[in-house]
Parts: sequence; C-alpha cells; structure tokens
Amino acid sequence: MENSFYAITWTDVLVSLVLMVMTFVLIRWWKIDLGKTLLIGTIRTFVQLTLMGYLLTYFFRQDNWIFMVGLVLIMILIAAYEGYSRQRSHPIPNYFMILAGSMLVTVILVLGLILQFILHTEPWYYPYAMIPIAGMIIGNGLNSATLTVNRFIGEINHREKEIEMLLSLGAPPRAAIQDALRESVKAALLPNVNAMMTVGLVQLPGVMTGQILSGIDPLIAVRYQIMIMYMWVTTATMMNILVLALVYRRFFTPQWQLKRELLRMK
Amino acid sequence: MTNRHFYIFKLILALVSAVENNYLYQLNDISRNIQGVQILDGISLNIQSGEFLALLGPSGSGKTSLLRLFNGLDSPTAGTLDYHGKRIEGWDIGLLRQQVGMVFQEPVVVAGSVRDNLIICHRWEKSIKPVSDLDLLATLDKVGLQSIDLQMDARSLSGGEKQRLALARVLLNQPQVLLLDEPTASLDHNLAHRIIRRVAELHREMNLTCIMVSHDPTLVRRFAERVVFLHEGQIAEDGPVAILNQPTTSQLQAYLAEEQ
Repeated sequence: MENSFYAITWTDVLVSLVLMVMTFVLIRWWKIDLGKTLLIGTIRTFVQLTLMGYLLTYFFRQDNWIFMVGLVLIMILIAAYEGYSRQRSHPIPNYFMILAGSMLVTVILVLGLILQFILHTEPWYYPYAMIPIAGMIIGNGLNSATLTVNRFIGEINHREKEIEMLLSLGAPPRAAIQDALRESVKAALLPNVNAMMTVGLVQLPGVMTGQILSGIDPLIAVRYQIMIMYMWVTTATMMNILVLALVYRRFFTPQWQLKRELLRMK
Repeated sequence: MTNRHFYIFKLILALVSAVENNYLYQLNDISRNIQGVQILDGISLNIQSGEFLALLGPSGSGKTSLLRLFNGLDSPTAGTLDYHGKRIEGWDIGLLRQQVGMVFQEPVVVAGSVRDNLIICHRWEKSIKPVSDLDLLATLDKVGLQSIDLQMDARSLSGGEKQRLALARVLLNQPQVLLLDEPTASLDHNLAHRIIRRVAELHREMNLTCIMVSHDPTLVRRFAERVVFLHEGQIAEDGPVAILNQPTTSQLQAYLAEEQ
C-alpha cells in the first residue's frame, strides 16, 4: 500500500458488527446478564456517532464566530448539567453554576492558548480545531471534576471530627478543610499523571491511533498527542481547583460552621 | 488559698457579676430546630465567669447541642446568646473560639507528631510567636503527660493520652472557657476521674470557666459546682451540685435512679 490512508466505507462499518456478534456470543455463553444493555449500547454508538458526523460536517461548514462560540457554550451547559445530575445523591447548592463557570474559565484559558499560540489557527475560531479540542477540554474537565468532588465529599465525611476540631480551635474553614482539598485534587489528578508516565509504552492513545489510521505522519500525530497530554493534565488541574475552591464554601456557614446536614446522603 | 477562701472569693465574684449584670454567658429563650425536630426548647441560662458547670441528662436531651452553641459551632434558631455582654454573632469567630476551647468526646489527632498537633494553630495563625519546646512540655505536664516525646507520632498514643493531648492543645490557646463534651466517655472509670480531676485543678488554678457535658452523676458530683439537668431539650433543674442529693423533679429522680 503506497499511502496508508484508507477511507472506511459504511459496508466496512457493518462488517465491524461481527465484533459485536462475537461479544454477544461470549456473554451468552457465560450467561452474563448484560445482553439488552449491550444491544442498546451497540445501537446508540452507531446512531449517536453517525448523527454527530453529519452535525460536525454541518458545523465545519459554518464560517461564523458567533455560531462557534454559541456551540461551545451549549457544550459547556450540557456537560455542566450532566455533572450536576450525577451529584443528585449529595446535592451541593449552586453546583450547576459552579461547574458551568469553572468550565467556561478553563475553556477560555486553555482553548485560547492552544488556538492562538500553538496551532495558530486562521481564523481563530477554525472549526476543525476549535470543536474537537473544546470537546476534549470539556469532557475531560467534567470527568475530573466529578471524581474530585466525589472524593471531596468522601473526605469531609471521613474527616468531619477533625474539621470540627480545627474549627473549634479558631481555624477558618479554608484551613480546617485544607487537607481534604489537597487529597481530593491529588486523587483526581493521579489517573492523568499516571497516563503521562505510560503513554506510548503500553498503548497508543485514541487520538493518535485515529490520526495514524487516517494516514497522518506518526511524527505529526505524536506532536499533537504530546500537546493533548499536557492539555489534559492542565485542564484537570484547573477544573479541580476552581470547582473545589467554589464547592468547599458551600459546606460552611459565614459563622465558620460545618453544614453537617449536607454530608448526609439524600 | 484554702478551700474556704476559694469559695468566699467565688461568692464575691458572683455578687460583683450579679450587681453589674456581668455574666459570661447569657442565654435568653434559646431554641434549636433542625429539619422540624426540636433539639433545644426555650433555654434561658446565665453563666458566670469561673464556674464549673455540668450539663447532665439522658442521651438525646440536647446536652451536646447546647454545648456547641457556646463556641458558635452551631447557632440557635431562636433566642439570643450573649458572650461577655455581646451577641455571639457579633464576635470575631476565630477570636471567640480561641477564648472558648473545646474538647470533644472522641479525641482527634491529626497526622504528624505530638509537636505538630500542639502547634496546629500556626497553620492559620501566621502572626503568633513560636512556642518553645519547653513551653510545650510544660503544657503537657499540666495535663499529666510528662513522659511523652514531642517527636512521637501522635496517632500511636493511647486513647487517654490522645485526650490529654487534645486538652493540652486547647490550653495552649490560653482559653477563658473550656467546653468538655463527655471527654472521658470512651475511657475507663479511673482514667476518666484522673483527667477530670486535672481539669478541675486547672479550673481553680487558672480561674477557667468549665462547661462539661456528662451522663455520669458520680463524676458531676465530684467535680462540678453547678448542675443543669436537661430533659427533652428543656432545663428541668438548675442549681448547685447538691441538688443531685435532693432532686425535686420526677425526671431527675428517674434519671438518677436509672444511672445508679
């Protein structure tokens, strides 16, 4: 093969269903109760991604910065709502606004830096760069924030007595909760940091694999991947710190009291 | 000072306070209601500086809930609470809590050495001057922890030692008031009495006001000067510790009968 690029056809995609058939056979063999969910998953993957392909084709044709910015804002709102609804068992006041605001700040800083100073896109809202990168920042930021907030709630439950002891000695809330904040951010960042250690050694990241499959020079694919790895860790760190800086305050009254009722499961 | 002199001194102090209406704490019709549950109901109470007061009552009677109001760990939902003649909400909360120390039921030590635990306030109070090891050891000595190494991992201490460490940590703030939330509940009888005896001595030496939650009438009889008996969030009896010998209310009679 002269050029490694091969445009996969719809027929090829249908053939790839053979993989799913193999999966079905295996789980039926072991009588694992997952058949229905797996079937729905298979169909949803197909439908959602196909729709996304058409949508992206439409988006990429738009040459309008207001449209692009609007699109990114909608993505942020959807992600914030998703994160908010995952937090129902432990409702945090204003959590939706906290997530949306933190994501907005992170996206503006990280995406702005990447588009302007790394990819030098022309125009600045160049859709082929802006949409997928914004999607990665928002998606990764959401996952990391969910992890860190869950861990944080676990930490304050676990450290309730320690926090109240520190408050009773005259510690401001920030000092009383400092160790819980640090532990939560660290725990949520660990997967990202570990990924930096093993990337390329164990497996090739999805983005890079995709690029190489579509015929991009591996050295270019690698450069993109390096940038993406740095972007992931920065996004996760910024999101975690912004979200927690706003979330921890919800657990205290202005009189430096721990709102113990928020710790109990709803 | 002999015991008699001490009580005369106390009496004079009480008279002066009463004349000047100069109570340390004044609670006026305090209630606390959490999600529809009445925890405290119409509590009115005056506490003078230098008292050793015990809050006695069965579990769920509101003792700890009442205690937590004195350093603002919780707020009343109705009524007013004055400290040194000023509404508690008006106080600088950090300053208030330095003056009103608290020892909890379960001793909490943070990860680190005994020294780290003692000087934990330096984490947020950058301006306070460093405390020398000699001062730290002197404070440990006050609470009866003579043979402890400052470098030792605080988590390796026994329950009783941790509780004394917690007490020493509070004393380093030089408090005027000491709140004790059944600090010896998890300790054996002898150790519990030893620790509270030490507190009672500090109360006398430093003129420290002590407010202690307890469900142990023996401990209260032995060390407290005044008893407030709580029943279902209300004050059922309030008086000198001698009222435990002649309880007037049926609730206190029933409670003492059950505890003996």
